[in-house]
Amino acid sequence: MSNIIEVTGVTYLYSRGTPFERRALDDVSVGFRRGKITGLIGHTGSGKSTLVSLLNGLYKPASGTVLLDGKDIWESPKEISKIRYRVGLVMQYPEYQLFDETVRADIGFAPRNLGLSKEEIEERTLRAASFVGIGEDLLDKSPFELSGGQKRRVAIAGVIAMQPDVLVLDEPAAGLDPRGRREILGGLSKYVTEGGGSIILVSHSMEDMAHYCDDVVVMGGGRVIKTGSVAEVFSDKDALHSAGLDVPASLRIAEGLRERGINLSGELYTPEGVAEAVIKYIGGGRK
Amino acid sequence: MISDITLGQFFPGSSVIHKLDPRMKLILSVLFIAMVFVANNTAAFILLTVFTVVLVLLSKISLATVLRGVKPIILILVFTAFLNVFLTGGEGEPLWSFYFLKIYEIGIYRAVFMALRVIILIVGTSILLTYTTSPIALTDGIEALLSPLKRIGVPVHSFAMMMSIALRFIPTLVEETDKIMNAQKSRGADFSSGGLVKRAKALIPLLVPLFVSAFKRADELAVAMECRCYRGDKNRTKLVKLTYRARDFLTLIVFVLALVGIILECNIPSGALGTGAFLEFLFYRV
Repeated sequence: MSNIIEVTGVTYLYSRGTPFERRALDDVSVGFRRGKITGLIGHTGSGKSTLVSLLNGLYKPASGTVLLDGKDIWESPKEISKIRYRVGLVMQYPEYQLFDETVRADIGFAPRNLGLSKEEIEERTLRAASFVGIGEDLLDKSPFELSGGQKRRVAIAGVIAMQPDVLVLDEPAAGLDPRGRREILGGLSKYVTEGGGSIILVSHSMEDMAHYCDDVVVMGGGRVIKTGSVAEVFSDKDALHSAGLDVPASLRIAEGLRERGINLSGELYTPEGVAEAVIKYIGGGRK
Repeated sequence: MISDITLGQFFPGSSVIHKLDPRMKLILSVLFIAMVFVANNTAAFILLTVFTVVLVLLSKISLATVLRGVKPIILILVFTAFLNVFLTGGEGEPLWSFYFLKIYEIGIYRAVFMALRVIILIVGTSILLTYTTSPIALTDGIEALLSPLKRIGVPVHSFAMMMSIALRFIPTLVEETDKIMNAQKSRGADFSSGGLVKRAKALIPLLVPLFVSAFKRADELAVAMECRCYRGDKNRTKLVKLTYRARDFLTLIVFVLALVGIILECNIPSGALGTGAFLEFLFYRV
């Protein structure tokens, strides 16, 4: 099976059976490919965060199934914590979850819960820290002494230390400066290429999606509006607009050029792609 | 889930009870509590139950919601009812006995009254106050009622402010607890199994981040208030001035009558008042 996670017909209701009942997901079906980075994009309140909380069994769907490696994760509800080790979820603003005395101990929290040996815990801690660019000099500090960006990275390392098959990140770069974004997201690509895992990445940023993801899932109003490769999704302007999203800035520039009679070709959804296409266009014109 | 707790949650609406003045609601609650504790016989409890049911119906809050508020204390209720049934000594023949365990009629009465009293107390006061009064209105009401104490130097306004802030942040803290719990569960934390010590230890990853963020939030709120030149109640005016209306006084009259009725019912033997006589009449005929 090429999909590591397969969601079929999932509906989820908040505050079920109270006057505040709200349908967050409505008959959602979507697959996430193994060994790829899949972007999950959508407007605020589109159901992205709810969907990711269903993937590791934090929430139980009202109807429908979530398959991990072809097996229903709710097959035996008592074993749900095992699913959580295999699908590592980094929630929004994960730095609030730090609690231990040292960075080392905090990253090692999940491996300790897994009941691993001391050496294994230490090894995983170091490896997770290196993925997110936390140097060994920081490991013995208190997590509360770190800067915001460093805390975020330590929190992400705390989930990576479980070495999950699928790493799910809800807005891992929200509120960080451009350099912080690049470092975190770049480190994640390494997790797929070097570690052989799969990643599901929730983001608002079309640019980040275009840059780091292989596939994109567009959500709106609790439904999946469009899925496909980055090129497929970003060429479907109507789907993006109906989800209340804009196309990436670089694609808008290419559109503007087209309106002025300059037809570019190539991967126009990243700044690099547009730059290349422009160079090709200019070069071609002079030939 | 933790956010299912309804005790102390406001349900917006426009029923008669919602519209009452918060000061009056506080006074009514005191009268209601008095009724609950004065009642000590069957007739009085029937009157009280009917009264409470009418309150619930008037408030237009669903019965399911109201009962969910009672759910957390059911265990305590059952426990005290058991103690009352078995440990109340009575005169004459016990109804049932098994070695040292004896059940007297009066024990059963006491157990039922006790459970009923607690349920009615919770349902009644939450209908009058927490379910139908916004926390802001509630603290406004408390401040207004306590304002005479200002003359003897009690910082009533500050207390009211502290209370409204505390109330305001309960849902926020619940939400935060939920969020942190989910984050730690995602890292394999287990909050629901193991012995007492293990469970207490499992709370550390929850409590540390919760306290850190609560202190941070308090600090930020204090700074934000300073930035808006908050200086307590000096020369402060209100956007919505509380005013008593006819319906407030009408409800007060109804409550006072009910209280007087229950007091009479419980203190005059053989039911000189209508309900008692009526009940006796009913039972003798059967």
